[in-house]
Amino acid sequence: MNKNYIFLTILMLALAVGTLFLHKEKEYEQIKPEELLWDIIQPTRYVTTDQVAKMIIAKDPTLELVDVRDSKQFEKFSLPNAVNVPLSDILKPESQDYFGLPGVKVVFFSNDDITADQAWVITKRMGYNDTYVMKGGLNCWIETIIQPKEPEETAPYTEFEKYQFRKGAQMYFTGAKVESSAKKTEVKVRRRKKTSVAAGGC
Amino acid sequence: MHIHETNPKKTLITVLVFALIILAGFLTVKKPKFRYKKTLAETVGMLEKKEGCFKPWQLVDVLSKVNNKVVLIDIRNKFEYGQGHIPGSENISAYDLTKDKNIKHLEELKNNGMTVVLYGNDQLQANGPCVWYRMVGFDNVKVLMGGYEYYKKHKDNLEATKNLDDYIKEIPRYDFAKVASSKGEVKTENKPKKAKIKVRRRKKTAVAAGGC
Repeated sequence: MNKNYIFLTILMLALAVGTLFLHKEKEYEQIKPEELLWDIIQPTRYVTTDQVAKMIIAKDPTLELVDVRDSKQFEKFSLPNAVNVPLSDILKPESQDYFGLPGVKVVFFSNDDITADQAWVITKRMGYNDTYVMKGGLNCWIETIIQPKEPEETAPYTEFEKYQFRKGAQMYFTGAKVESSAKKTEVKVRRRKKTSVAAGGC
Repeated sequence: MHIHETNPKKTLITVLVFALIILAGFLTVKKPKFRYKKTLAETVGMLEKKEGCFKPWQLVDVLSKVNNKVVLIDIRNKFEYGQGHIPGSENISAYDLTKDKNIKHLEELKNNGMTVVLYGNDQLQANGPCVWYRMVGFDNVKVLMGGYEYYKKHKDNLEATKNLDDYIKEIPRYDFAKVASSKGEVKTENKPKKAKIKVRRRKKTAVAAGGC
């Protein structure tokens, strides 16, 4: 064998091995910073509490609610069927099971929406798609779904429609939990009253 | 028949050409404009420390020029900026944040030791861009808590917001477990809380009708 060939072979092999070290620091397949910022400034990732309520009530199988608060707060209260992935644990391998499932919409939520939004930015950088943020968080959830406020008499019709939906959602989320009979009747009375109002309106 | 044997220098030429091609490849590769300077783990750590928050009352010193190390940047569009903005703030719409001109400007500010405070209508609007800037190495970028809406509401007495906590996000404003299982009958229970909520709600409705 010609010694030149051996020399060339060794050179090529050395270069090939060298390429292995080029991407060593890469942890996840991350999207480019420019693409990330582009996604960040789009408001399309926000879903309203009404939309989330609708999906929960419809038992939407593609919905995956992710509570990014700490486990202490999660244990006290969370949305139905939510899983707990605190922001500090979001990079852990076991947390990855919840993200990136085909056809599953991941909705992040926290007390407000800042932490949820930050979780969204992190997962977006990791390349996960179909992730959303519940705008307003649980504070807004209470204000809109659990304690809906009746619109002013002059409010547009859509506001009343929304209020009707929220009233129904309120029953769904609060009434189903407590089985105390005394309270139940109380609610029943209120419900009947409301529906009669709606019937007149239509 | 080996051609190389007839011309031993051919190997050397091949190697040289090969090396040149690789070198040319390295030189012509486009250098990316932005690189993540923080790994994902570092970013999460940074977010947990809650660095990068600029409180509304800190604006007092900025507006009175006592603190001249702060530059305010309004990331809303020109139209909204034109309708009203914090005095002395610059307007760089969120869509223009990566323009060469603006990046150069931000780099200058960073090298001069200036703090850059981003704000949108609410804190959420500037939250993502702020996190992004910090990820690509601009550690001097902060976000105005409460955003423009909060500033607008309190601009006559920003100093007083020192004693308020309604601009701080991620505080549970209700005892969720209690409220959520009480069939919505708690409305009359805690009056002071209710008053506070009312204020927040009004602020929100101005942004997007109905929703939060």
